[in-house]
Amino acid sequence: MSFNQNTLLVVLSCICISVCVSGEVVSAGSPVFKTHVDPLYSLNLLTALNDYSDISQYCKDLLDLFGNQYVAYVNCLVPAARPVKVCQNCFVNFENLNKTYTNISSDEVGPAGEVCRDSLLRSDRLMLVFLLFSNLDGIWEKSNCKNCISSDSPSLTNDTLYFLAMLNQTYNCFDQYQQGNHTELCKNCKNTYRDLNILYSEMEKNYTMCIDIEDAMNVTRRRWSKTFNCSFPREENVPIIAVSSFMLFLPIIFYLSSFLHSEQKKRKLIQPKRVPQYSSLMNIQDKLS
Amino acid sequence: SQGLDYDNIENQLFLEEERRMSPMGFRCLEVSRWVVCGLIGFLTGLIACFIDIAVENLAGLKYEVIKRNIENFTETGGLSISLILWGGFNAAVVMLGSILVAFFEPIAGGSGIPQIKCYLNGVKIPRVVRLKTLVVKVFGVICSVVGGLAVGKEGPMIHSGAVVAAGVSQGRSTSLKRDFKMFEYFRRDTEKRDFVSAGAAAGVSAAFGAPVGGVLFSLEEGASFWNQMLTWRIFFASMISTFTLNFFLSIYHKKTGELSSPGLINFGRFESESVEYYLYEIPLFIAMGAIGGLLGALFNFLNYWITIFRIRYIHRPCLQVMEAMLVAAVTAAVSFTMIYFSNDCQPLAPENSEEYPLQLFCSDGEYNAMATAFFNTPERSVRSLFHNQPGSYNPLTLGLFTLTYFFLACWTYGLAVSAGVFIPSLLIGAAWGRLCGILLASVSPNASIWADPGKYALIGAAAQLGGIVRMTLSLTVIMVEATGNVTYGLPIMLVLMTAKIVGDYFIEGLYDIHIKLQSVPFLHWEAPATSHWLTAREVMSSPVTCLNRIEKVGTIVDTLSNTSTNHNGFPVVVESAGNDEPGKLCGLILRSQLIVLLKHKVFVELVRSRLTQRKLQLKDFRDAYPRFPPIQSIHVSQDERECMMDLTEFMNPTPYTVPQDTSLPRVFKLFRALGLRHLVVVDDENRVVGLVTRKDLARYHMGKHGLEELQLAQT
Repeated sequence: MSFNQNTLLVVLSCICISVCVSGEVVSAGSPVFKTHVDPLYSLNLLTALNDYSDISQYCKDLLDLFGNQYVAYVNCLVPAARPVKVCQNCFVNFENLNKTYTNISSDEVGPAGEVCRDSLLRSDRLMLVFLLFSNLDGIWEKSNCKNCISSDSPSLTNDTLYFLAMLNQTYNCFDQYQQGNHTELCKNCKNTYRDLNILYSEMEKNYTMCIDIEDAMNVTRRRWSKTFNCSFPREENVPIIAVSSFMLFLPIIFYLSSFLHSEQKKRKLIQPKRVPQYSSLMNIQDKLS
Repeated sequence: SQGLDYDNIENQLFLEEERRMSPMGFRCLEVSRWVVCGLIGFLTGLIACFIDIAVENLAGLKYEVIKRNIENFTETGGLSISLILWGGFNAAVVMLGSILVAFFEPIAGGSGIPQIKCYLNGVKIPRVVRLKTLVVKVFGVICSVVGGLAVGKEGPMIHSGAVVAAGVSQGRSTSLKRDFKMFEYFRRDTEKRDFVSAGAAAGVSAAFGAPVGGVLFSLEEGASFWNQMLTWRIFFASMISTFTLNFFLSIYHKKTGELSSPGLINFGRFESESVEYYLYEIPLFIAMGAIGGLLGALFNFLNYWITIFRIRYIHRPCLQVMEAMLVAAVTAAVSFTMIYFSNDCQPLAPENSEEYPLQLFCSDGEYNAMATAFFNTPERSVRSLFHNQPGSYNPLTLGLFTLTYFFLACWTYGLAVSAGVFIPSLLIGAAWGRLCGILLASVSPNASIWADPGKYALIGAAAQLGGIVRMTLSLTVIMVEATGNVTYGLPIMLVLMTAKIVGDYFIEGLYDIHIKLQSVPFLHWEAPATSHWLTAREVMSSPVTCLNRIEKVGTIVDTLSNTSTNHNGFPVVVESAGNDEPGKLCGLILRSQLIVLLKHKVFVELVRSRLTQRKLQLKDFRDAYPRFPPIQSIHVSQDERECMMDLTEFMNPTPYTVPQDTSLPRVFKLFRALGLRHLVVVDDENRVVGLVTRKDLARYHMGKHGLEELQLAQT
C-alpha cells in the first residue's frame, strides 16, 4: 500500500535529516542527501525521480534549446561590444532566450509527470543553468535595454529610432567635412551637434537611457571635443583677470582709507582698587626672598 | 558685562515661600523643569529645520541662476558678466545679513559660541539671549550662507538654542511684553543658566546630530555645578532636538520616517569595511594632528591681528556692512577665477551627487572639478571630500583650494555677519587631509595599503578643527557621533590632543582669543599654578562700599547713582559704635534688590503708617527680572530721601566669606564651583575688609615668565 511506502519514506528521510543535522557524515554515495534544503523538498525529489542519474527527454530537449539560444545570443553580443549596440542588434535573441528560460523555470508538469525546473535548475550545488541565465539577465538589466525596446511589438521605440536617425545625420556631417581643416567642421556641424545634444538631454530627463544611446552619445562627444577639438576655447582671459583684479583691489583701498581716516578706538583700562599697604609689588618681593 | 547670580539668596522671603509650598508643589516644579527641557529641544530642532530648508532652497536658486548664466556665456563669450553677476549677488545678499547684524543687533554677529561660553562661565554679556538676537541670528546666518561666504551655519545654531532656552524657561517675553504667567519660579539667574546649558546642548545636537556631544559641550564649558539631574535633563533636551530635526526634515524630503538627517551637517556613513585603519597609520595621524595644530595656530594668529584692526578702525556700522559686502564679492571673484583657469576635468558619472556640475571649458560629458569644491555649499563639499572615490580629485586642485579657502575663511571670521567657523575649518582640513592621502598612496609602491583618501580627509578635518577651536572632549564625541562610527574614536582623540598641545604652544584657541579681546573676565577651569602664595588680601578690592542694616534712603540712592564705581553687591554691616571701624558683616544685598525695594517704596516709616498695601514677596522681585530699571528712572523725592529702609528681610543673611589669608586657588575654587558673584573677605572679628569679584580673579594668568596680572579694559 502507498501508505506503507510513504510512511517508510517519511521515517527514512527524518532519520537521515537528523543524522545530517547532528553532524555525522552520511555515506558518500548518496548525493541526494547532500543538499541542505528542507526535508519536504527532498521528499518531493524522491517522488519525482524514478532514476536519479538521468533527466527526462522533455527536459533534455528544453536544455538543448536553451543551449542553442544561449550560444546565439552570445554570438550576437560579442561583436556588438564596441561600439555598444547590444540592444539594437540582439534584443530578438534575448527575447527567445528569456522565453525558453521562463518555460524551464515554470511550474508546468512535463509529459512524464516531472517538473523540469527542479531537475535542471536546482539539482546540484553549481546550478549552472541558473547562473548562466542570471548573468545574461544581469547584463540586460545593466544595459537598460528595456527603455529602448517597445513593450508591445518586438522593435525599437520611436524615440530611439528618432535619435538614431539624428545620430546618422550628425555622422554624415562629420564625414563630409572630415578631410579639411577641423574648424570648418566645427562651424558647419555645430547646429546638428547641438540639436543632438538637446535631444539627448530631453530624453535623459524623462528616463534613463539604454546603453546603446548612452554610448553613442559619449563617442560622439569624445569625437567632437577631443578628436575634432571643437569645444570652446578659453579666450576671455584678459577681461576676467581685469575684473577680478579690480574686485581684489577694492578691499585694499577700503582698508587703507579706513586706516587713515577713522580715529583709533582706545581701550580704557580698569584700575583695581587695592589696599595701599598691601600692594602686590612689595609682597611679591617679600614672598620670593 | 556683569556676572550672573548663581548663588541662591536665602533671605526671609525665600524661607517663607518654601514654607508655603507643598510637597506637591515641589514635585510639580520638577516635572515642569522636564517639560521646559523638552520644549527647548523641540523648538531648537524646529529652528534648525527652518534654517536648513531655507538655505537649501535659496542656495539652490542662486546656483541654478548662476549656472545657467555661465553656460550661456561660455558659448557666446562674456563670462566677465557672469563673474560680475555672481559677485553682485553675493554682495547683495550679504549686505542684507550684515545690515541686520550691524544696525539692529551687533551682539548677534560672529558665531555666538564665545558669547555662550561666557554665559555658561557666569558672565552676563548684555543682550546675548534676547528674542531680537535670535531673529537677527537666524536670518543673518541664512543670508551669510546663501551669500556664498566661507562660513558655516552650525555655530549660530548653538547660540539660537541658548536663546530659545532663555526665553522658554521664563514663561514670558519681555520684548513682546507678554506674560504667560507660567514658570514664574524659574525667573532667576540660577534656573536660567541651567536651562541655557540645556539650550546650548540642544543647539549642538541639532547642528551636528550629536546629542552626547552636545551634553559634553555644555558641561565642558559651564561645569561649575555638575549635577546628575541637570545632566539627565540636558541629555533629554539634546535627544529631543535631534529627533525633531530628523523627523521634520524627513517629512520635508518626502521620506517620512526614514530619519537619515540627524543634524544640519551630515558627514555621511563611514562604512566599516572600506575605511578601517591600521596600527601603523596611527603615527601618521598624530603627524597630521601636529600639522593641524600648526595651521590652526597660524589661522588664529592672522585672525587675531585682523580682529584688532577691525576693533580699532572699523567700528562704525556702515563701514562694517561695506567690509562684509567686499568680502563676499572677493570670495565670488576668487572662486570664479579659480574655476575659470582650472584644467581639471572629470567625467560625469550617473551616480555622482553633484547637483550643479559646471562644464565650462571641459569636453562634453565632463565637468570642471574645481567647481565641485567652490560652486557648492561647504557642507556638500565636505561630504564629497569624505566619500568620493579615490581619483576624483586632482592634487593640484586640492592644494590650490586649501590655500585660497584658508585665507578666505581667516578673513571672513569676525565680520559683522552671523556665521560660524566649524564648517570652513572642516573643509580646509578635509582638503589637505585628502591631499595627504593621495600623496601617501602615490609614494608607496603598493597603493592598496593606503586605501581610502576619504579616511585621511576625515582625520585632516578633525586636526584642523581641533587646531583652531582647541576643544577636546566635546569635539571628539561630536566627530565620532557625526561619522556614526565609534572605531574612529581613538584616532580622532589622539589627533585632537596633538593639535591642542601643538597649537597651545603658540597661541590660544580662536574663541578664547575673541573672548579676551572683548575684555570679558573669563574664569578658566583652575587657578593658575604656583599662585598659592597670593592671598585674598592682595586680590580683593578695598575699601568696600557697605550699607548699614537700617540705612537712609538718600545714602542708598547716592551709592547706587555713583557712576564711578558700578558695584552690584553691597555687604550689609551692623552699625558700629565707633565710626572709623568697619562694621561686622551681617548680610549681602544686590543692586537689583535695592532697586526693586526703592521702586516699591518699602520704607520703615511707610510700613509703620500702613501706607503700603501689602508685604513684598519674592514674586515682585521675579517680575522685575531680568531687566531691572536703572537707578536714574527711579524717582525719589526729597522727603523720601530722609526715610529709612530696613534691609534685614531682603538681604542674603549668610553670604560666603573667606578669611584674609585664604590663598588664591582656594578662593578661585570656591568662586568657580559655587558660581559666586561676590565673595566677602572678613578679618578675625567678622568685619568686612574687602570684596572679591570675578574681575579680581580673572586678571591672573599663567604667562610665559610665570604668574602675571593682566589689565582688563572697560567695556
